[in-house]
Amino acid sequence: MLNQGFMMSHVLFGILGILFAVALFVDVLNAEKNSGRIKKLSLAVAALMIVAFLVGGYWYVVYYGADRDIIKAGKWPWAHNYFMEVKEHVFFVMLLLSVYLPIAVHKIGALTDKKNRNLILAISALIILIGLFMEGAGGIISRGVTIGLGR
Amino acid sequence: MTNSQMEKYSAGFGLSLIVTTLLNAVILLAKELNASIMSAMKSAMGHHWTTHGVILIIVFFVLGFIFSGMKLGTKIDSQKMTKYIIWAVIISGIITAGFFLPNLQVASAIKY
Repeated sequence: MLNQGFMMSHVLFGILGILFAVALFVDVLNAEKNSGRIKKLSLAVAALMIVAFLVGGYWYVVYYGADRDIIKAGKWPWAHNYFMEVKEHVFFVMLLLSVYLPIAVHKIGALTDKKNRNLILAISALIILIGLFMEGAGGIISRGVTIGLGR
Repeated sequence: MTNSQMEKYSAGFGLSLIVTTLLNAVILLAKELNASIMSAMKSAMGHHWTTHGVILIIVFFVLGFIFSGMKLGTKIDSQKMTKYIIWAVIISGIITAGFFLPNLQVASAIKY
């Protein structure tokens, strides 16, 4: 049960991080009116992704070994051999982008400047796109376990 | 500070982000292609992935503060930083996804 709790928390915090990044992206498009909220959202995205990383990392190191063996013995071994391998390494990029996001938002200066605004938009977009890949890969890995169990 | 220049922390940590993003792919290749590096990373913190992550986080902050102190903001603007970050993520992503591509046996899914 603890195993499932950690996994669901990892997914929950990751999805919230993506949704907050979407909200930040939209707010940056109207940066003149939303500077205060953009700063708060950037901190929220970083916090949520860090928690998703810590919870998911703990689950991966402690619990995932059993699931990995089931996946590799099943009909979708590539769910681990490709999607988990890529996911666990691309996650680091999303984490670093998420940690940089509030630094950039708080220090870069006026978001009314197009170049500054585009930098924040690009970072948010990369977080969203990588985050969506994380969710998709997570679904495939989960399905790999189900198929490995013969269900 | 003009619009063409970046503030020192956004420039310093931005460059650090670029370096650590590329370093992520380099560490991946090093540990996957060299069994002794993989073994050392496993023994360092109990799991190669934990060691990998800790190295990246430490390097990100150390380089971020070093680069911030080098006043790189006068040499780079937000537009260049945006371009470099996007390319670093694309290159790192292609290396990561490409390295594991031989493991992707779609044929087994079709059979299923």
